[in-house]
Amino acid sequence: MTHRLYRSFQGLLLLGICVFLVFKAVNGQLTWYINSRFIPLTIFGIIFLALLAQTVFTEIKRSRREEQEHAGHDHEHDHDHDHAPASLNLWVMLVPLLIGVLIPARPLDSSAFSTKGFNANSPLISADSSQQIFATESEERTVLDWIKLFNYEDDITQFIGQKASVIGFVYFDEVLGENQFFVSRFVVSCCSADGFAIAMAVEWDDAATLEQDSWVLVKGTIDSIQLSDRPAPMIVAESVQPVPVPEQPYLFP
Amino acid sequence: METATSSKHLPRNLILATAIGILLIVSISMTPAGFFTWLGGRLNVFSTVFLGIFVEAVPYLLLGTLASGLVEVFLDRDQMGRWISKRPVAAAVSGAFMGMVFPVCECGVVPLVRRLFHKGLPLSAGISFLLAAPVLNPIVILSTAAAFGWGQMLFLRVGLSLAIAVVTGIIFSVEKEAGNVLRPALTLSIEHDHAQTESNDSFVEKIRKALLITADEFFEMGRYLIMGILLAATLQTFIPQSVLLTIGSGPVLSVLIMLGLAILLSICSTVDAFVALGFVGTFSFGSVLSFLVFGPMVDIKSVLMYLQVFKRRPVFYIVAIPFMMSLLSGLLFNYLLP
Repeated sequence: MTHRLYRSFQGLLLLGICVFLVFKAVNGQLTWYINSRFIPLTIFGIIFLALLAQTVFTEIKRSRREEQEHAGHDHEHDHDHDHAPASLNLWVMLVPLLIGVLIPARPLDSSAFSTKGFNANSPLISADSSQQIFATESEERTVLDWIKLFNYEDDITQFIGQKASVIGFVYFDEVLGENQFFVSRFVVSCCSADGFAIAMAVEWDDAATLEQDSWVLVKGTIDSIQLSDRPAPMIVAESVQPVPVPEQPYLFP
Repeated sequence: METATSSKHLPRNLILATAIGILLIVSISMTPAGFFTWLGGRLNVFSTVFLGIFVEAVPYLLLGTLASGLVEVFLDRDQMGRWISKRPVAAAVSGAFMGMVFPVCECGVVPLVRRLFHKGLPLSAGISFLLAAPVLNPIVILSTAAAFGWGQMLFLRVGLSLAIAVVTGIIFSVEKEAGNVLRPALTLSIEHDHAQTESNDSFVEKIRKALLITADEFFEMGRYLIMGILLAATLQTFIPQSVLLTIGSGPVLSVLIMLGLAILLSICSTVDAFVALGFVGTFSFGSVLSFLVFGPMVDIKSVLMYLQVFKRRPVFYIVAIPFMMSLLSGLLFNYLLP
């Protein structure tokens, strides 16, 4: 591969990754991969990749112009040692684009439970933020908030009977009884690689009509349930409505 | 008999292709439908985890390669050698603190350290820079403080990283011949391109060259980064974390498990404190500390990138020495602060 051909592919790939990230940013899918607080960093990446692509394309033009100027004299100088870097570099850079384009994008769901774990009641995030959760209206609290409260407060009876309204995806598990299911969310600190699932039990008469991994809005009152010998929050549902996948499918602690 | 003779007239490839085709159709139709759901699920985990680490790492790799490009055009050769002491201990200590000047994480530090070696940085200083910079830099210190507060965990993380980096740097100073440790610079493409730096270049020209070097190194290092992420995502797709988490929580096992997790998760040092926070409570203080100290030095993707800079045996030591020291300090703090 000549150096100029290498440069051409390099420019195209830089542009490709840049456009891919722009696409993900515009359709709001960046939060399927990273915690929203890192989005500014990705924006920097997009701008910088565009700048690099521009620099590489300018370099190609420049080398072509110089070659024309040199045409006619000192041929054997300069271009007989025209080694480009390994073309494997280019192929490997293509991999993320292929994975991003060919595999249909979908946020993590219950299929990830088998490897990434799933958690209904064990200690999660060391929360000195309990106070903050107390300050939020009970109907504003997320699945994560409820689980934290049940883990860090000694007296859980104070929560029983409170109104709850949470969004998550449906997960059936045999630890629960009939008419019960989990409403689950992934918690992502940094990127999807560190994501793990948390879940809250829901009791609802029509639970059997729900589909695994479908997103629902659950409204009801808080009760508690024993899961592996520890108390965990459960919602006794008054209504369970199907909802579209939320803009931010993960919770960011 | 008849068929046997007539098949002789058919090209072998055709028979083989038909046989494989039939076999494929039969096996697909006999596969339980659950297999495809399973496969779809695994593919989703794989692609989401892969792209997660990739999207997270790209800006940091860009910053690291940019730093390398700027060093190339703005620092004269051998200038590093004049700034940094030749005495091993002094060199290792000053190398460890260079992260405060070049705030890079473990993806960015590799191209930068390679460039600095090229500029005459002593081996011991480079090694301690490589290992310490992902922790001893303002960004990571702030993010660790944000997660754990200005307390014990932060100071121990910084202190231990510094100690391990300096000790490893000093050990490497035994080797006097850098060529025995470093791989020959394969594609420092500036040799062949229009990017040679000349001292009379204008500022704009220098920036242009720095950007070209950045682009080249982004590809060169990106290759190892991506192969590392592929490996990490594959492991995360098939190895349940619960296997690690349920093995045990004894003072020794918990440290080993957190060290394993640090390698497996391959998350950037600028954010790993928030991830570590999630393990507090489940895991002992010492084991979380060892995760925070060892993770930035060694994980799947950084090892693959190290192989681009160093020969194999040195990479083994760069992994093994911090591993042993992180393990020991994790054990120590498990007993001191149970």
